[in-house]
Amino acid sequence: MNNILQFLFYILIFPGFAFCVVAGLLIAGIDRKLVARMQKRIGPPILQPTYDFLKLLGKETIIPRHAARKVYLAAPVVGLLSLVTVSLFIPIFNFSIFDKPVADLIVIIYLLTIPGVALIIGGSASGSPYAGVGISREMVAILSYELPLVIVLLTIGRKVGMALDGNITFSLKAIVDYQAQYGPMIAQWSMIPAAIALLLVIPCKVGSLPFDIAEAEIEICEGPLVEYSGPPLGIFKLNHAIKMFIMTSLFVTLFLSGAGTNFVALNVLIQFALAVVVTFISISVLKAITARLRVEQTFKFYWTYPTALALLSLVLVWLGL
Amino acid sequence: MFKKLIEKGIEKSPWLLHINTGSCNGCDIELVSVITPRYDAERMGFKLAGTPRHADIVVVSGPITSQSKERLVRTLAQVPDPKVVVSIGSCPRSCNVFHGSYSVEGPLDRYCDVDVSIAGCPPKPEAIIDGLAKAVEILKTKRRGK
Repeated sequence: MNNILQFLFYILIFPGFAFCVVAGLLIAGIDRKLVARMQKRIGPPILQPTYDFLKLLGKETIIPRHAARKVYLAAPVVGLLSLVTVSLFIPIFNFSIFDKPVADLIVIIYLLTIPGVALIIGGSASGSPYAGVGISREMVAILSYELPLVIVLLTIGRKVGMALDGNITFSLKAIVDYQAQYGPMIAQWSMIPAAIALLLVIPCKVGSLPFDIAEAEIEICEGPLVEYSGPPLGIFKLNHAIKMFIMTSLFVTLFLSGAGTNFVALNVLIQFALAVVVTFISISVLKAITARLRVEQTFKFYWTYPTALALLSLVLVWLGL
Repeated sequence: MFKKLIEKGIEKSPWLLHINTGSCNGCDIELVSVITPRYDAERMGFKLAGTPRHADIVVVSGPITSQSKERLVRTLAQVPDPKVVVSIGSCPRSCNVFHGSYSVEGPLDRYCDVDVSIAGCPPKPEAIIDGLAKAVEILKTKRRGK
């Protein structure tokens, strides 16, 4: 009984649903404020994404006549659930809700794909031609960033595995233990290209400006979201915010983690602060200084520079550096 | 309490949809200057939405031409409730200098209820911000009355 209550607490409050929502909305708000300050604007308040979400909860939901009703309404919820599940698996310094290694990087790769797939399914269920264009672009985006992402994770697995038993490990707990022993992963010079590659993958994964080809507001009216209104749209916006937190938090766990302190609350604060720094570097700066790329430019960019950087790291690690 | 939170959200995050119904672009440029760094209406939460489904405030500029009339009515029908219609400039009020033209079928209040009408040819950005702030108040009362 006690065990069940504990797991309910993990899933619903920390590090599950409630924590994700709060952290995601805060990070999205900080990002908007930072971009505004870099453009010499005052910018919206940090709680702006929260206000947007609350407003969308109070709006009317219109379901188009040509939409597949059930799929149309279920798609955003599926995306949200998978994101919350990912947050359960990411260890925050030495805090992890599982004692034994139950899930590893491979599960996280699969679960992180689901929000993008939910966007594709929801968009195609809405029956709008703009959504059709949007989902084809989202597929291209997924194709482009998956390759460097997988190579980066493989590199980290190899690096940690070599120190453990000369093999590859994908256990997140082993990665954090390794960093507690040898210092943060980013301090190893052979891992720096992989870190840069992951920093470049994050903006496309969360769909922010130079790579937001799927949700281009001006060209195709936010693509897959074109017919969404009211609460389902709000959940999609929430997904977007949580994805931002999950991706930056994953970066912190993979590259900047370590033993941490003895207090869980302090560890969480440090993780959040580091996630804000990663958001600033990889999302806000790029968003403030670039314009949107075309579809084939995004594809070409990801299959050249980030892939090359990640491969360089992989080769270095395989050589034992 | 939940109702109060939603009301706060509606007050703080009104998204605009801009419809040009044959305007000369003067009012459109003034609206653009409202949402760009000089006046930065985003600090009050105003944001341009790409599609009528995401909008709370519909901003109409221009006398209603016969080409745009049908599109205007269809677009307004796609905006989810609660919504507010704001007209910018003299054209949607009285057709301005285009009054009497064979291709102009304005003014705007023949086709929908106009909640806020901002005068001027074109109105100053300050006037537009003032009008949008009034529109937010009306949006709140509409939400409450539902």
